[in-house]
Amino acid sequence: MGDTMRGDMILKVDNVVKRFGGLVAVNKFSMEVRKGEIVGLIGPNGAGKTTLFNCITGVYKPEEGEIVFMNEKITGLPPHVIIRKGIARTWQKVRPFKKMTALEAVTVGVLLRRSNVSKAIKRAEKLLEFVGLPREKFHKLGTELTLIEHKLIDLARALGTEPKLLLLDEVAAGLRPHEMDRLANVLLKVKNELGITLIVVEHVMRFVMGLSERVVVMHEGRKIAEGSPEEVASNPMVIEAYLGTKPM
Amino acid sequence: MVVVSKAKIIGSQMFGLALLAIVLGLIPPALGFNIYYVLLAAISLSVTIMVAAWNIIGGYAGQLDLAAPVYFVVGSFVTTHLLVFYHVIPWVGIAAGALVTVVLAIILGYPTFRFGIKEVWYALLTAALVVIMQRIAWFIMTSYYYPILGSNEVYISQYIPKDANPWLYLYFPMNYTIYYYIFLALLVFTVWLNLRIKRSKLGYYLAAIREDELAAEALGIDVRRYKLYALMIYAAILGVAGGFHIMMIGILAYKNFDPWLGIVIAVMGIVGGLGSIEGAVMSGLMLRTIEEWLRSSFGAIIPGIHYLIYGVIIIIVAVLKPEGLAAVINYVKEKLGLVQYG
Repeated sequence: MGDTMRGDMILKVDNVVKRFGGLVAVNKFSMEVRKGEIVGLIGPNGAGKTTLFNCITGVYKPEEGEIVFMNEKITGLPPHVIIRKGIARTWQKVRPFKKMTALEAVTVGVLLRRSNVSKAIKRAEKLLEFVGLPREKFHKLGTELTLIEHKLIDLARALGTEPKLLLLDEVAAGLRPHEMDRLANVLLKVKNELGITLIVVEHVMRFVMGLSERVVVMHEGRKIAEGSPEEVASNPMVIEAYLGTKPM
Repeated sequence: MVVVSKAKIIGSQMFGLALLAIVLGLIPPALGFNIYYVLLAAISLSVTIMVAAWNIIGGYAGQLDLAAPVYFVVGSFVTTHLLVFYHVIPWVGIAAGALVTVVLAIILGYPTFRFGIKEVWYALLTAALVVIMQRIAWFIMTSYYYPILGSNEVYISQYIPKDANPWLYLYFPMNYTIYYYIFLALLVFTVWLNLRIKRSKLGYYLAAIREDELAAEALGIDVRRYKLYALMIYAAILGVAGGFHIMMIGILAYKNFDPWLGIVIAVMGIVGGLGSIEGAVMSGLMLRTIEEWLRSSFGAIIPGIHYLIYGVIIIIVAVLKPEGLAAVINYVKEKLGLVQYG
């Protein structure tokens, strides 16, 4: 049933369920993503956004439902296979390679599709330039870099694998406003210049509302709203999920 | 700091290798070809080969492997067994030993990595493997070797044909210099292999696995497969070294599966600085020599005192330079303008 996709669809999540013991983290969740768009996925803490990401990227195997990427069922495949199909991710809490330099870390990503190390290093340099990491930081170890730099390297590392779809898990978390703007510009470049489709999981409303064309709202594992940022922001159910009900 | 070109790095590495070969090559004449000292030096080299091999699984891939004696002694065992029971020359026996250790690495490593055993549990499991192998060896030697050979231990010299070509049988009684140079060649090869791996895709992938397995897998690295590659390379080198070692030492006993040796190799690798082959080589050579010197100087006065002093030295290194000897080497390199990038 999920194998049929409209031509411009890149990802289809169909009735996915993921439980942890008695807790249903993702509850019959469905969403579709079109080629070339930036979709925002928002929701309060514990809504199941990261769990959904982990299901799509193969870290978790969903109990029910299926995930179809470019007309191919990828439900339950291991992470290293899914990335080969073209879905890359970044992490909510950055996972830097501490004892490797920025350039080495990005080279690891590039090596997925280019086995020649010298060529991979050259490509990694280009990617670090693309995300805007200053050249003098290329040979700094993971331990010597700041959070925004880690986020940029994390992004470049993921871009190195030449994804068609990139999942960004709370990239803006912990950043200062001007750093967020810098990152938002890089993400727009990723979409416009590299033609990569993005799903942006976010907590910071300002960031996601400015970036996304379409927003999906998740609450307690379910989808409660979907639409343009403006529509979603004025949806009473969304306001309720974020702020709670008005006292009677 | 200056970024040095790749060609220059490789050039300086080849220079380093040549320097290592020449300096270590001058040791036997410096010792006046004294049989005892050359034997000790050869044993030092053999231990250093093990540390250099360990650097691939422990330093590069970050797996705290304590099973070095398993692969090393299995190499010895296969070589000895083929020689004693089938009159196979050691050269062939050593090759067969390497093959067996690689197969053993797959048999042991596949389920270990498949079930995600890592960190302290991996260390415990590999330490236990040495004990298990020792018991298996004990069983084979007491119930199978003893009735045929009349001894629980195998004295290799008894099974070398009278008019044997010494090179064919790797049999040089009372002359350890040749063994020393064989080990030196093997050490240079192992170090070269380390350097080669570090610059390769395998090296990048192992480093990523060491740093963060989940992030590595999310970048498309088949973590289990690459860990297994590292284990196979490590096992093969140890198997070959074990084969030559037994021809030099001449006595095979089940106690050669010594859990202490597995720990010592890992300690040397850590003291050298994880992932630094220069550190691993220096650490292997220095610590093994210091241990032997302490044993011969103080061991007779208070038995076991050399282990105490040895332990204190390791604690001092761990406190002063947690990054190991590699930090010292890097400092010197930086001063010489030989900083290595990429």
